[in-house]
Amino acid sequence: MFGSMFLRSFFLQAGWNYERFQNLGFAFTLEPALRKIYPDPEKLKAALLRHLAIVNTQPYMASFVAGNVAAMEERAAAAPDPEAALKSMPGVKQALATSFASIGDRIFWGRLKPMTVQLCVLVWAAGGFYGWLFTSLNTPVSLALLLAGPAAGIVFYSSFAVYWRWRGLGTGYSCGGASSCGLDCSDWSRSIRLLSTAGFAMSLAILLLAFSMLAAFNCGSCGKPDMLLKAGLPLAVMVLHRVSRAFGRSVFFAAGLTLAASLLFFSVFGLKPFSLYL
Amino acid sequence: MIAALKVLVSSALAGLLGLDAVQAGQFLLSRPAFVGPVLGWLNGCPLEGARLGILLELLYIDFIPVGGVVPPNGTAAAAAAVLAHAAGLAPSLSFFLGLAAGVLYSPVEYRLRASRSAWNPLIEEQVRDGIFVLRRWLAKAMLIENAALAGYALAWAALAALLARVPGLARVYPGTEFAYSLMPWLGLSGLYFRFRTQMYKKG
Repeated sequence: MFGSMFLRSFFLQAGWNYERFQNLGFAFTLEPALRKIYPDPEKLKAALLRHLAIVNTQPYMASFVAGNVAAMEERAAAAPDPEAALKSMPGVKQALATSFASIGDRIFWGRLKPMTVQLCVLVWAAGGFYGWLFTSLNTPVSLALLLAGPAAGIVFYSSFAVYWRWRGLGTGYSCGGASSCGLDCSDWSRSIRLLSTAGFAMSLAILLLAFSMLAAFNCGSCGKPDMLLKAGLPLAVMVLHRVSRAFGRSVFFAAGLTLAASLLFFSVFGLKPFSLYL
Repeated sequence: MIAALKVLVSSALAGLLGLDAVQAGQFLLSRPAFVGPVLGWLNGCPLEGARLGILLELLYIDFIPVGGVVPPNGTAAAAAAVLAHAAGLAPSLSFFLGLAAGVLYSPVEYRLRASRSAWNPLIEEQVRDGIFVLRRWLAKAMLIENAALAGYALAWAALAALLARVPGLARVYPGTEFAYSLMPWLGLSGLYFRFRTQMYKKG
């Protein structure tokens, strides 16, 4: 039953809709458990209809909710008064979905996902590929290295995602019925802090590496004013990004402004463009 | 002929990889950093594909898909950018076209999601009648999303091929190339400040 639920949980969001969010995928994930619990087709119908109601949580953490709900359904089916046993289920389901959404969003979207980009860049840098930093650098690079960067991020990220999908089912099932079920199975705050620190350290390392490479690529080839301009422009772009965010604008605003200014100076006014590196 | 076939296969592959973003798996196979080099390799430009992919990724990482938010689509962006480059446009212009393509796909994605709301009463009716075919509905949803993204990528490839024939296009390249050379720094800034903000706030 768990194996089937686990595999189906990868399609949790396949039928995502604005009326009831993940309801179709959630019912699909739960179907093997419901079929086992309710051999009577009438009871199975009622159970499936119950789980076609609104549900929305973080996809990787949804397993905690699904495991919990499966356990609650099992207990209700065995109870003398199933209606009474199922009374608390919508509340527990909603509470868990909200709590795990908050944890999952912070861990997966807020931290692990940006870290995959950092890993990609670091793998490429370790392999001597700096084309991601200097856009006109065209030294030949092996396909293996080009794919190793993103693959490192995917393996790193997916190992967490798959682990929590699987563990969530078992944990949720073992403590089913409680609205705090599974929330104490890990020190989430500590994990979040740890990931933030690791991400920040990697960000600093990448920035240091980027500016070092900028200096190294220009070293001995240009004078001080040129060097200042070449280091100043990236800094100016970073400030522009920060200011844009402070005014509630997305990164696209900063990108658009940079493009508009460049087109104006180099395509309309015809100024001679220069490269950030030699 | 072979070039057209490559574009068709690339679009279909983009549609397939795009499913990973929301609908199936979510292993990050749909991210521009992966889609870029894969489609680049398929079209004979793996290096440029990887570069376009990672730069789009650095900018797109700014958006988080929480709740019902439809962020700009990274797969559409990477596919459009790589196919635009394969169609003969300079990487710099392809990058900015890709950026636009990803943003413009959001309304399409929104409509696809909204259209599925109408399925709920139909599915409930089926379940009441004893017909349990949830997997068919989910497969239908994925097929539609796949076709929509593949068609969208194909449309951008066609647009890029037309754009490549516009006389005097080379005049915009000095401007796009300079702006393109600054994009890595814009992306690194986003990456740095994302974690810096997290370090200085609780939770």
